[in-house]
Amino acid sequence: MNRTTRTIIKIILIAAVTIFCTAAAYYLGSNVTGHSLATASDNMNYSRWLEKYFILTRATGLLNGLCALIWFLAARFLFKIDDVAGAGKRICWLALLMASMAISLGIPHFYAPILGIKLNGIIFGLFLVIFSGIGYWLLTIFTTPLAFKYTPLGAQLFGRRL
Amino acid sequence: MSFYFISIGGTGAKVMESLTHLCIAGLLPENERLFISAIDPDVGNGNLERTATALNNFAVFQNFSVGNDTTLFKNKISIVRPFPFNPTGHDKTLDDLIEFYHHNNTAVGKLYEVLYTKKERETTLNEGFRGHPSIGAAVLAKKFDEGSKLTAQIEKIISEGDSVKIFLAGSVFGGTGAAGLPTIARLLKNNLVDYADRISIGAVLILPYFSFTPTNIQDELFARSENFLPNTKAALKYYSEKENLFDATYFVGDSVMTAVKEFSVGSANQRNEAHIVELYAALAAIDFFARPIKSPKIFKYICRHEQNKFSWSDFPARSELFVQFARFIFAYVHLIKPVLADLVSGNAKAYKYPWFVDFLDGIDVTAPDIVNFNFYAEAFAAWLKQIETLNGREVFLINPALFEANPARLTDKKLFATLDGNKSTLTLHEIFYRLTEPFKYDSTVKGFGKFLRKLYDACAV
Repeated sequence: MNRTTRTIIKIILIAAVTIFCTAAAYYLGSNVTGHSLATASDNMNYSRWLEKYFILTRATGLLNGLCALIWFLAARFLFKIDDVAGAGKRICWLALLMASMAISLGIPHFYAPILGIKLNGIIFGLFLVIFSGIGYWLLTIFTTPLAFKYTPLGAQLFGRRL
Repeated sequence: MSFYFISIGGTGAKVMESLTHLCIAGLLPENERLFISAIDPDVGNGNLERTATALNNFAVFQNFSVGNDTTLFKNKISIVRPFPFNPTGHDKTLDDLIEFYHHNNTAVGKLYEVLYTKKERETTLNEGFRGHPSIGAAVLAKKFDEGSKLTAQIEKIISEGDSVKIFLAGSVFGGTGAAGLPTIARLLKNNLVDYADRISIGAVLILPYFSFTPTNIQDELFARSENFLPNTKAALKYYSEKENLFDATYFVGDSVMTAVKEFSVGSANQRNEAHIVELYAALAAIDFFARPIKSPKIFKYICRHEQNKFSWSDFPARSELFVQFARFIFAYVHLIKPVLADLVSGNAKAYKYPWFVDFLDGIDVTAPDIVNFNFYAEAFAAWLKQIETLNGREVFLINPALFEANPARLTDKKLFATLDGNKSTLTLHEIFYRLTEPFKYDSTVKGFGKFLRKLYDACAV
């Protein structure tokens, strides 16, 4: 597989996993706690809550996917290793992980009241696991360009990828 | 087919150094074994010592499992012992070697006394023949068959059905080379006359290309650079008038005499910098080995396109292989070696260097073979720098302005992509990236050799 094909496949994978994470967060959130949260919200029924919740998961998923994509694009096209000091870049990966976690927790925290829906701790936990855990950490382990392939924490646990 | 390279004297040793580098770079034709022999009475000669180091390194690199389908380290070498063959022994004079005491007051003895001055007869020959081929010719004619196992070894190879190409390198203006080239060629021809159809003998006759100013040694017998041109003239006259000894003869010299920085009669102090003439002489050997064994006799003169400039168009071999090897060495020295040092000292984390995790995790990078390679890489860069430092004349092979020789460091890392003067996409980043990409090698490629192979392959345009 040549480098361009690999790049295209990884971008498609990032998009696909982002969509999958959004769908998973929506499906699990709405089924596990959706009914009780909808009734707890003011002037809200279940279908209207679902509509607002979908907007919330979509926004969180999109921004998280953007974090994974930014990491991929920076590692693929921006970072240059003309000197050994240019290798690794874990600090950048960690910064984006922090951003992903902030998005996974911050969007529900600040955007849900604007949308007029209530959320509980399960949703926050779900978002953290799905978006930051799967949608960033796990995704970057498998999509990081080869020159930085062991930069994501724990990447070596998944074996050598040649 | 087997190849033999015989270096004669100090200049021959320096040609051997260049040939060793070219051989490691994979420029020798086919996958034939190269037997290396050296003839030099000055066994402690600094030039020979440096060459021996490069040769021993190459012998070590043959342990690296880089696979059989690559040009890297492809030619196997064997060093013919004794290495170097010292025809004079220790603390011997010409009188001792000729056994003059047997001939004292005889007609032969008196003729001998007429032909050689007292100083020539009584000077110990530990530092070579000191620019006096007449001494060397007498000694070599007497001692070569007695002490060297070369003829016997070649005979054995031929008797097993193999053919042999023998290439001699030496200067025609000094002592050992000027004496040895015709003498050794004739002795080999005579000794192997029964196998004439299975051997081919070539030689590079190196014409003057350096000069020196002796200091504080007025009383000693030594080579004088003012004699180089008359010596050369006499030698060339000899070769043109006498029987043609060689199947292929190459003449390499320089119109500008490069001044030797520190003059030495011989021994360890004789450690002259490498010169592009020696590289060309080594390329002559490669050209000879690539020719069919029975081809018309040739005399080759090598010249360049522009008087004061060397460029790739003057390089009579596969430049892409040489450039790839140079890139490989510089990438190793600049990108790999510092990382290995940092990882060993605990100053770096392995995750930053995926190629280390993939290829070298679990390998002891302080093992002698790997340390040897580190030294070799630096030595190659130093050699290259010397080759390209040519009395102010411009050398546009690997641009010497791009790197410092010792330690071999790129002055500007971004210029790595233009190492051979042509703009390429092969930056250090690109090489780092290629090192991490998937590959398929057969099971014979393993260990540190696998990593070197991957790096070498990554350096191809």
